Amino acid sequence: MAAPLRIVIAEDAAVMRDGLTQTLTRRGHEVLAAVADAASLREAVEKHLPDVAIIDVRMPPTHTDEGLRAAQSIHAAHPGVGVLVFSQYIETQSAAELFAGAPAGVGYLLKDRVADVSDFIEAISRVAQGGTVLDPEVIRHLLRASRRGDSLATLTPREREVLSLLAQGRSNTAIAESLTISPRVVEKHVASIFAKLGLAPSDNDNRRVIAALKYLEP
Amino acid sequence: MSRPASQMPPPRADAYPGHVPDVPGWLRRHPWQADSLLALLLVAASAGQWQGEYRASLAAVSVLLAATVVPRRRYPVAAFAVAAAIGAVQVVLGVQPAGGPVSLPGPGLQLSGVPGPTAADAAILVLLYTLAARRSRRVSITGLVICLLGAAAGIIRWAPTHAAHSGDVVFAAAVGLGGAAMTAWVLGDSVAYRYRRAYYASIEERAARLEAERDAQMRIAEAAERARELQERRARAVDESAARLRRIERDLHDGAQVRLAALAMMLGEIKESLDAAADGAAATGAATGGAGGGADGADGGADNGARTRMLAAAAHRSAKETLVELRDLARGIHPPVLDRGLGAALAALAETSQVPVGLEVSIAERPSPAIEAIVYFCAAELLANVAKHSGASRATVSAGEHDGRIRMTVTDDGSGGARLAPGGGLAGLLERVQTVDGRLSIDSPAGGPTVITIELPDHA
Repeated sequence: MAAPLRIVIAEDAAVMRDGLTQTLTRRGHEVLAAVADAASLREAVEKHLPDVAIIDVRMPPTHTDEGLRAAQSIHAAHPGVGVLVFSQYIETQSAAELFAGAPAGVGYLLKDRVADVSDFIEAISRVAQGGTVLDPEVIRHLLRASRRGDSLATLTPREREVLSLLAQGRSNTAIAESLTISPRVVEKHVASIFAKLGLAPSDNDNRRVIAALKYLEP
Repeated sequence: MSRPASQMPPPRADAYPGHVPDVPGWLRRHPWQADSLLALLLVAASAGQWQGEYRASLAAVSVLLAATVVPRRRYPVAAFAVAAAIGAVQVVLGVQPAGGPVSLPGPGLQLSGVPGPTAADAAILVLLYTLAARRSRRVSITGLVICLLGAAAGIIRWAPTHAAHSGDVVFAAAVGLGGAAMTAWVLGDSVAYRYRRAYYASIEERAARLEAERDAQMRIAEAAERARELQERRARAVDESAARLRRIERDLHDGAQVRLAALAMMLGEIKESLDAAADGAAATGAATGGAGGGADGADGGADNGARTRMLAAAAHRSAKETLVELRDLARGIHPPVLDRGLGAALAALAETSQVPVGLEVSIAERPSPAIEAIVYFCAAELLANVAKHSGASRATVSAGEHDGRIRMTVTDDGSGGARLAPGGGLAGLLERVQTVDGRLSIDSPAGGPTVITIELPDHA
């Protein structure tokens, strides 16, 4: 277990807010505040300066994208506070907006991901540590659209899988585990992907995600 | 009354049946000439009587009397007054034909060898007839009374001449002159009666027609009002239904979806703790090795545990799948991205499209939510068609405003041949578009390109 995280939660649905609080607390993390709207979220962040804020996109009063706006302003004001935005729906455009600035310590996940509790908590940890998390759904949209034409089309199915995991900020070891292949094979795939996309490889996980994101941005 | 107006002969000022019984149409159409002819006939009829000591006076009186007939239609009262005055002068001065057979118009009374009226005096009867036909009863009865008084004065004036004769002759003269006057009046009055009846009928007809027209106009106004009302009601229904769909999506989002996500999270926790417990038990089991005695019980527990783990995993998986289904369902009811405007919504569509899509959106003022939803669903359907059927390598979606209407065009460089088939996707779009008086046009020649345009008002 990594070091306990200091967390603020903004989610207007009580059942999810309480569920998340209990789960995170049970896993040894500290939930400093669990609020239901963007204004209270800003206050809580100012007050506690947590490691990470978990933010629902749709909250009162307009139930559209106030969570997204709050995440952007918090991340701009406090680069040290990781923001993990989670939403019932995933939009590439929202992802692009969220990741437009410095994508360190930013995450964007489908709400469904809470079902895989350990993965979700791992994603929170990555964001808290300045990592980047992008939902596989976004990657899938972009891959399906094949908007970058030839360069993306040249990726093999396996390389696409690796790229999708890589864009979530996973390490080579984690990718190797989830695809049940050896880390050396993953390294080869990553090198191949970057070569095909014309990006210089780097041993920094974060930089790799940034590169992938830049490539995937509209 | 029941005859249509078009079949009714128009009342004509000179169309008096019975006045000149055998006149050809020419005479009817030329009243001045006809009346001049009548005057000449009267002069001619009286010419035979211009004899004796009053010959010159008789001729003058006859010509003057006959002349009064000429302007009778335009000036019936004046003409009658002049003729009556001449008759009065005649009676007073005793200008009368001497002896000889005298023909009287009308009853055809014959007076032999006695003085009496000239044939031109028939002009007075003609004018009385005209008066009765053309003027009110009050005027024409006054004329009749004047005639009767004149006849009486004449008879009294001439009576001494007839003293040798019996009273019968005087009586016959009275009956003849009075009867002639009465007959002229009755004939004229009957014409006037027919004329008035036709006139009233035409007035009633016109009143009825105006009433019918007013009724028709009222019905048209009512229909227009009703159409407006229905249009408003439909707009309300369309807006309400859009709002209701949005509410349903929000209820799903805040209710079922979030509860299901929380449930999936709990199932995930259960699954993970069961897995962890099983791993722990396996490790313990491996450590204690073949201790023998408790092995059967441990195996039974492991079986049970494996089954529980399997069930938990299945429930967890099922919850996650249901979450995906529920999300797709909610998105089909009302795509949340629409809340951020058509630009964002169409961009989201474009980026998930299988075929690369170029997007141009220039809509300054947001149309009503119902219209935005129609545009969005049409674009989604059209892009799906492009991916499924056209074989296109590129598509373009453009949306803009033109004269207060929203126009959205989807173009692709595919094989063309898109058409409106009953029950097809395009027919469904057309129906959707028509709920708000929108239009759908398809230009898709064989070999492409395909251009499909929808045009909608900016609110329902």
